[in-house]
Amino acid sequence: MTKEKEDSSLSRRRFLELILSTSAGLAFFPKTGFLTTKGRRQTARKVLVLGFDGLDPILTAELMKDNRLPNFKKLAASGSFLPLGSSIPPQSPVAWANFITGTDPGGHAIFDFVHRDPGNYMPIFSASESLPGKHEIKLGDLILPLSGGKINNLRRGRAFWQILEDYDIPATVFKIPSNYPPVESKQKTFSGMGTPDIKGYYGLFNFYTNEYKTITEEYGGGGRVHDVFVIGNRVESRIPGPNNPFKKGNPETFVDFKVFIDPVHPVAKIAYQNQEFILKEKEWSGWKKIKFDFIPGQGVSGICLFYLKEVRPKFKLYVSPINIDPADPALPLSTPDSYSKELARKFGPFFTKGLPADTAALENEVLDENEFLTQDELVYQESVAILEDELKTFRSGLLFYYFSNTDQRQHMFYRFLDKDHPAYDEKMAAEFAPVIPRTYEEMDKVLQMCLEKIDSQTAVMVMSDHGFNPYRWGFNLNTWLLQTGYHYLLPGSRPEEVTLFQQTDWSRTKAYGVGLNALYLNLKGRESQGIVSTAEREALTRHLANQLEQLVDPRTGEKVILKAYISREVYHGPYVDLAPDIILGFNRNYRISWNSPLGNFPRELIEDNRQKWSGDHMSSPAVIPGSLISSLPVKLSDPALQDVTAGLLSLFGIKIPPEVTGRSIF
Amino acid sequence: MWWLNQAVGLVVKVFLLPFTGLNPWAGMIFISLLTAVLMLFIYKKTSNQNGIKEAKNLIKGYMLEIRLFQNDFGVFLGGLKRLFSANLRYLAYNLKPLLVMIVPIFLLLAQMNLWFGYQVQQPGETLLLKVEFNQAVEVDRLDLEVEAPPGVLVDSPPVRIIDGKEVDWRLKIVELRGGQLVIKNGGEKYAKDISLPQSKLARVSAIRVNQNIWEQLLNPGEKPLPREAEIKKIEVVYPAARLNLFGLKIHWLVAYFVLSIIFGFGLKGWFKVEI
Repeated sequence: MTKEKEDSSLSRRRFLELILSTSAGLAFFPKTGFLTTKGRRQTARKVLVLGFDGLDPILTAELMKDNRLPNFKKLAASGSFLPLGSSIPPQSPVAWANFITGTDPGGHAIFDFVHRDPGNYMPIFSASESLPGKHEIKLGDLILPLSGGKINNLRRGRAFWQILEDYDIPATVFKIPSNYPPVESKQKTFSGMGTPDIKGYYGLFNFYTNEYKTITEEYGGGGRVHDVFVIGNRVESRIPGPNNPFKKGNPETFVDFKVFIDPVHPVAKIAYQNQEFILKEKEWSGWKKIKFDFIPGQGVSGICLFYLKEVRPKFKLYVSPINIDPADPALPLSTPDSYSKELARKFGPFFTKGLPADTAALENEVLDENEFLTQDELVYQESVAILEDELKTFRSGLLFYYFSNTDQRQHMFYRFLDKDHPAYDEKMAAEFAPVIPRTYEEMDKVLQMCLEKIDSQTAVMVMSDHGFNPYRWGFNLNTWLLQTGYHYLLPGSRPEEVTLFQQTDWSRTKAYGVGLNALYLNLKGRESQGIVSTAEREALTRHLANQLEQLVDPRTGEKVILKAYISREVYHGPYVDLAPDIILGFNRNYRISWNSPLGNFPRELIEDNRQKWSGDHMSSPAVIPGSLISSLPVKLSDPALQDVTAGLLSLFGIKIPPEVTGRSIF
Repeated sequence: MWWLNQAVGLVVKVFLLPFTGLNPWAGMIFISLLTAVLMLFIYKKTSNQNGIKEAKNLIKGYMLEIRLFQNDFGVFLGGLKRLFSANLRYLAYNLKPLLVMIVPIFLLLAQMNLWFGYQVQQPGETLLLKVEFNQAVEVDRLDLEVEAPPGVLVDSPPVRIIDGKEVDWRLKIVELRGGQLVIKNGGEKYAKDISLPQSKLARVSAIRVNQNIWEQLLNPGEKPLPREAEIKKIEVVYPAARLNLFGLKIHWLVAYFVLSIIFGFGLKGWFKVEI
C-alpha cells in the first residue's frame, strides 16, 4: 500500500488521535523564561478595549433603543456606534487575527477554523500545531524523550501588543482568540479561543451513566459516554486524561474514581486521588484538581467541574472538559509564564480552555439549557472578577479584555429568537428567548463597572468580531461538488457513507471543500494528487464562484451563497498562496452543513438544521458585521477590524507600520 | 496516653503561641532551632563522644588509605572493608542517642502536624465530616444527626457508605468561629472540635480517634472517644497546608528536617558536640 493510500484510509478515530494528541508535548513544552514587564512607559492616554465576541450591531441597536443597554448608549453618545466590518470569512479565529495583526488573512494566514494538509487532503487545525520531541530513547515500552515537544502558534504577522512593546507601551491582553500558544512578548497576555483542554481537544466532556446514551466524539471535541453500573450504591469508573508520551503507542492515561451514593438521600460522595467531596443532586462541584501521571515524577495536572445530574432512577454524572490548570500549566497559557500562576493565586482555578462553555454537552442533551447557563454564568463571573482586578492595576497603556458569553449563548439560543428556525420550540422559547438580550445586558453591566473604575484619560472601545444570524439551513458543499461533476468518488462508493474523502478519486477531482467556508481546487503542484493546471486555475475558480453565487434554495427561492470570494482578489500579503481558492460568503440563515467540512457527502444538498447550535456567523461579512462603540468619535464611516488596530496604534502616537493594512479609525 | 499528649501539646503551644499572628515560617524556624538545641543536648549527654570522635577519625583515615592506594587492589579492598566496619561502628554509637530521641521527636512531630499540617479555611468554603464506625455497626440503620456550632452549617444530608462503615456530611463555613460539632447517634453524643482560626498559624485537630494507642499517638489533638463508643474515628477533612518558599510549596516536615539539620550542624561547635 502506498503512503498516500495509507493516509487516505486512516480511520476517523486514528485521525483524531493523530491530529489532536498534543499531549506528546505536554510534559516537555519548552517554557519561556520568566519575562519581566517592568520599566514600561507611562502613557498619558490609556485605552480600554472590551471584546464581546459576536455582539451583533442590529440587536445592540434595538436593545439600546429600548433603554436596556444604558451604558452602551452612554458610550455611543460620547463618541460613535457603528457596524464593524468583519473578516472574510467572519469566523472568530480569522476575525480576531485581523484585529490582532491589522491585516487580512493574507497577512496572518488564518483562513478558517480548519485548514487542510495538501499532502493528504486531511483537515488540520488552523490555529496551532503540536510537534513531539525529535530525540528519544526507547526502553521496552518506555520512551524517554531527550528533547521537548513544541507547540507553534500558526498565526503569522505581528500582534499589536508586540508593536506597542517596541515603543515600550505596556499592554495586558486577556484571552484574545487566535493567540494560542501566546506569542512571545514581554506584555501580559493570556491565551483565549484556540487553547485546548488537557487532552489537546477543543473540549471533551465525560458523562457517566447507566442509561443508554450515545454521543458523537466530534472533530476536536464533543464528549464521551461511559457506561457504568450502580452496584451496592457505588459507581466506579475512570476519567480519561492526556495520552502518555512516555509509553510506547502513547496510550491514554486515566484517573480512577468512585462515587458513593446514599441509599436514600439524593446525594453522593465522589472520591479520587486525595480528594473527597459531597454533591447533592443537581449540584456543581466547583473546580477540582486532577493529576494524570505518566511515569513516577512526571505528570500533568488539570482542573475540572463535576455535576451530579441525577442519582435515581438513573445515575448521571457530568465531568467537564479538563482544563489546563493555570496554577501549574501543562501547556503554555500566558506571557510571562508567571501571569497565569499569579491569576491562579489570586482567584483560584478558572476556565482556561479557549471556548469555555460546554456547547457540546448542551447539544448532546447531557446538560439542559439551564445547566448550560449555570456553567456559562460561572465563566462570566470569573471573567468579571479578573477584569475588576485588572482595572485596579491599569495605570498605563492598553487593556484588552475578552468575553465569550455573547458568542456561546447566541450559538445555542438563537433558535428561541427565530420563530422560523427548524428547531424553534414555542414552549421553550417562552423561557429561553430572553437569554440573548439578557446576555447583552450583562455585557452592559461589565461596561458600567469599567466606566466607574476608569479615569477621564482612558479611551474606551467596545468591539466584536462579527454579528450573528440564524443558522436554519446547512449547505453540503462537497455533495454539490459531487453533483456538479467537480468531485468524483471511486466506483462502487456510497457517497453518504464516505468520510474524510476516503473514497475520493483524486485523479478526476477538481475541487473539494474542507473547513467552514473554504473551497480548494485540486491544484497540480500544490495538492499531492492535483490535476488542475495553473493555466486552468483562473477560469475554473471564476466558473465555480459564478455557479455557487447562482445557487438557489428551491424551498425558499433565496440564494444560498451571497458572494463567493476569490481569495487572490480579496486577500493581501505574503500568505495569500496558502489560502483556499474560494471563500463562501453565505446568505443570511445559511451556513455550511455539519458534515461537509470534514470531507463527507450527505444525501441532501441543503438540510434543515434541527440542532441546538442554531445561531452562527459564516455568512458574507456584509450580512453580519461586528459592532464598534467608541468613547472617541470614529472618523471612518465603514470601519473594519484592521482599522481598529491602526486606530489603537495611532492613539498612542505610533506610526502605523507598513504591514498593518488598516486605516486609523480616529 | 491522653495526658502525655496534653502535656506535650501544652509545651508546643507555649512555644508557638507568640508566632500565631506571623507567617508560619517564623514558628517553623523557631521550633526547628529549639529542637536542634534540644537534640544536641540529648545527643551530647547520651552518646559516647570519644567513641564517635574515634570512629570519625578512622573513617577519615581509611578514606585516605583508599585514595592513596587505589592502584594496589589488595590494599584498596582491605581499606574498603575497614571503612565499612568503621562506618558500622559510627552508626552503633549513634543508636543509643537515636533511641532516646525518637520518643520525644515522635511526640513533637505529631503535635507539629496539628499546627502546620492543615490549611486555614475561609468563609464560604466547605469541609467534609467523616464518621467511621466499628465493623459490627450497620450504618444505614443508625439514627444520626450532626449539630454544628455557630458559624458552621451542615450543608448536605448524610452519605452512608454501608460497606465502608462510614457516614459523611458536608459542612459549610459561614463564619470563622469554630467550636464543637456534636454527632448524635441515637441517645449517644460525641463531640468533635472544628477549628476555624483567624490567625495565620493555629492548632487544628482534624481527627478524634478511639482508644487505640497508635492512633492516639498519631492524632493527639483531642481526647480519645470512649471505649464503648460505636464510633471508631471522627474526622474533619481539612486541606493539607504547604509552606510557601518563593512560590515553592513545601511540606512542613521537609522544612522542619532541613532546618533542624542546618541548625544542628551550625550549633554543634557552640555546644561542643561531636556528631
